[in-house]
Amino acid sequence: MDEPATPRAPAVYFDGTSSARNDVIVEAGQSGLRILAAPGTGRTLARLLDEWNYAELRRASAPAGVLRLARRGETLLARLEIRDARLAATIEKRAEALDRGGAAERRLQRRVIGLGFAAAASLTLTAAFGLPALAGRIIPFIPLAVERKLGDAVDKNIRAAMDSQHLGTAFVCGANDGEAAGRAALDKLVGKLQAAAALPFPLAVEVVRRAAANAVALPGGRIYVNEGLIAQARTPDELAGVLAHEIGHVAHRDGVRTVLQTAGLSFLFGMMLGDFVGGGAVVIAARTVLRSAYSRRVEAAVDAYSVDLMTKAGGDPRALGVILARIAEDKDEGVRLLLEHPETRERIAAINAVAVTGATRPLLDAAGWDALKRICGSPAKDTANAVR
Amino acid sequence: MTAVATTADGVIPRQTPASVKFLGREAAYWRLRIKGAVLLVFTLGLYRFWFATDVRRFLWSHTEIGGETLEYTGLAGELLGGFLLAIAIVVPLYTGIAVAALALDAAEGVIAGIAFVLLVLLGQMALYRARRYRLTHTVFRGVRFDQHGAAWRYALYALAWWTLIVVTLGLAYPWAQAGLQRFKMRHTSYGDLAGSFAGSGTALFLRGLPIWLAVFGPLVGAFVALSRMVDWDALNRMIAAGGNSPLAVLVGGAGAAPFVVAGTAAVASILAALSLYPLFAATMMRWWISGLRFGAVSVRSHLRTWQIYRIYLRFVGLLTLFLLALAVIVGVGVALFNLAVRPNRDVAELLTSTFTVILYVVAALGASTIYQVAVTFALWRQSAQSAELSGAAALAEVRAAGAPSSALGEGLADALGVGGI
Repeated sequence: MDEPATPRAPAVYFDGTSSARNDVIVEAGQSGLRILAAPGTGRTLARLLDEWNYAELRRASAPAGVLRLARRGETLLARLEIRDARLAATIEKRAEALDRGGAAERRLQRRVIGLGFAAAASLTLTAAFGLPALAGRIIPFIPLAVERKLGDAVDKNIRAAMDSQHLGTAFVCGANDGEAAGRAALDKLVGKLQAAAALPFPLAVEVVRRAAANAVALPGGRIYVNEGLIAQARTPDELAGVLAHEIGHVAHRDGVRTVLQTAGLSFLFGMMLGDFVGGGAVVIAARTVLRSAYSRRVEAAVDAYSVDLMTKAGGDPRALGVILARIAEDKDEGVRLLLEHPETRERIAAINAVAVTGATRPLLDAAGWDALKRICGSPAKDTANAVR
Repeated sequence: MTAVATTADGVIPRQTPASVKFLGREAAYWRLRIKGAVLLVFTLGLYRFWFATDVRRFLWSHTEIGGETLEYTGLAGELLGGFLLAIAIVVPLYTGIAVAALALDAAEGVIAGIAFVLLVLLGQMALYRARRYRLTHTVFRGVRFDQHGAAWRYALYALAWWTLIVVTLGLAYPWAQAGLQRFKMRHTSYGDLAGSFAGSGTALFLRGLPIWLAVFGPLVGAFVALSRMVDWDALNRMIAAGGNSPLAVLVGGAGAAPFVVAGTAAVASILAALSLYPLFAATMMRWWISGLRFGAVSVRSHLRTWQIYRIYLRFVGLLTLFLLALAVIVGVGVALFNLAVRPNRDVAELLTSTFTVILYVVAALGASTIYQVAVTFALWRQSAQSAELSGAAALAEVRAAGAPSSALGEGLADALGVGGI
């Protein structure tokens, strides 16, 4: 071995009390470094500035080709910069804490990556299963007054979004001449369902001038039924089945559930896990996937509720399945029930599995159904309304 | 630069004290960025604290001022801790705002307004505190930088300036920048060497005015032209009659002309903004660097505008190449897959949505990585290389002062999404 026992080389030393640059000679001994002032003119003996033990050395970040040393637990920011490759190699060999080759650093990094991966998986599972469970526990403690206020706030936005033709008050059917009978028939139908449902607060069902065969329930008991849904329904029980489905959302307080879950998802995927891609699209994608997973469970529960409620009210519990099938087939006009709903076939099968068969009487008589079909006036009059 | 040159008596020669250099190689930065981007995906972003620390270590340690490089002493664990602390502040705050909006019947607009101002203030405080963390974890020649001054004071000051900027359509921006930079630099120090800022808002305004005119001029012109086309009498009659469609009247009299005017102005404005952005960036950077002072040490920037144009053009070129390559790979891949497998409809739908998400992640992360290297890194390097110090002798006799600060500000900035990490 041609390596000297105590190799020495010039280096730069900052003592941490001032920014003065000290040109020094560093001597790598067996247990530590000796930092000696470089002999200036007229001085022959090198003065000892400091002694650093190998055990207390720490590598500070530096450009390639420089070994920058600091001391562990330092209060002063003393730094020693060694550019001499041979001296640096010796120090790295003798001071194990310096992690020559970066094995410890890589180990730490692997641990961080592993833990990060585990944390991401844990947060995703929390979002998929923990959030719905938590929301279910919290909902009973939310007063109905808060839910109604929430519903009012949502209502403004939902109505503005649905009323694409800016009809204003004319957006709701049943107020014009010749529509009152339809409104009365609707109230009768809703009344029967409401009596069977025994909800703690009244429902507010409105039919609106919108072509898509759909209905929507808001927090607080407000339900909007599209004109297009009534056009698709062939019997009062088909409409009642959909209404019972929406009443199920109200009874299960799904509006509040959605708000709680959305807030939870925003927290988990918007804040804890950073928006690392930018633009928020991955956050939105993750939320959409998880929301549709939630929605499958929620919709299945509400379909079962509809069957139960229709049976209690004396209507045909299978009618919901019939109208769902018709709407799913009607692709010419592109009308489809909400995309978030689970596969229609599965839903119909589930409905028919729980529905008890037996002779039922329609929930509205022929005259009432006739009136209800005209709650938004005749098609010709409707077009005139839209232009006006 | 890092080669060892020793004199006969073994002493490293002092380098000229006035130059600023950047020693980092772009290839190394590419590796750092790509590795970080991949790890971000697999940890759903949790790796960001370690990533930011690695990036800062690289940029700091390769920036050389008067022969000595900077050192970043921050730790990823500190950033994570700051973030968790910030979560403990931001979550109750958001909850409080939501509860207040539901519980109070006061107009929703009032609550939303208060919440907005509150969040803007908190965001500015976070940015100021984050700057403090970065400065107190920057070591140069064994002495750290420091920042003092109350963050809430800075936040109020910034809010006032930004309000003025919005009200004046951006014309107040130069003075706002000068004021905010003065505030920041007055509260910045290197050891016992106090910082200050000498940039003048008026000088920046005069240099920026042509850019402002080119971008906002077409819009203002179009607004004036359009207001002359309006048949004000007809509009008044319609409003008096209770009509609710002012646009119909506005458009009715003039035919397609208003749309042509508005469209042309918008296109002209957008084109001007895109083509002048590098000029704006260069002007700002030069002005900012040349205004920095530490005691008797002053900085001058010799940054050339064409250098910044080259940086942005290179970015556009690289991004185009990347997206083209991605499109070709995806196109060929999909075609081959369909030929080889012929999946049924359900499987195809599932695969399509999965691959769309993956493709989006790859495209977005790739684009941001290209931006970080081709623009951010290049700007850092170019600004460092073109800076020149005078009075740098003062840097050699600074007494150490200050202590490292917590990373709460960094965490708040991250949690509020106002940047930082």
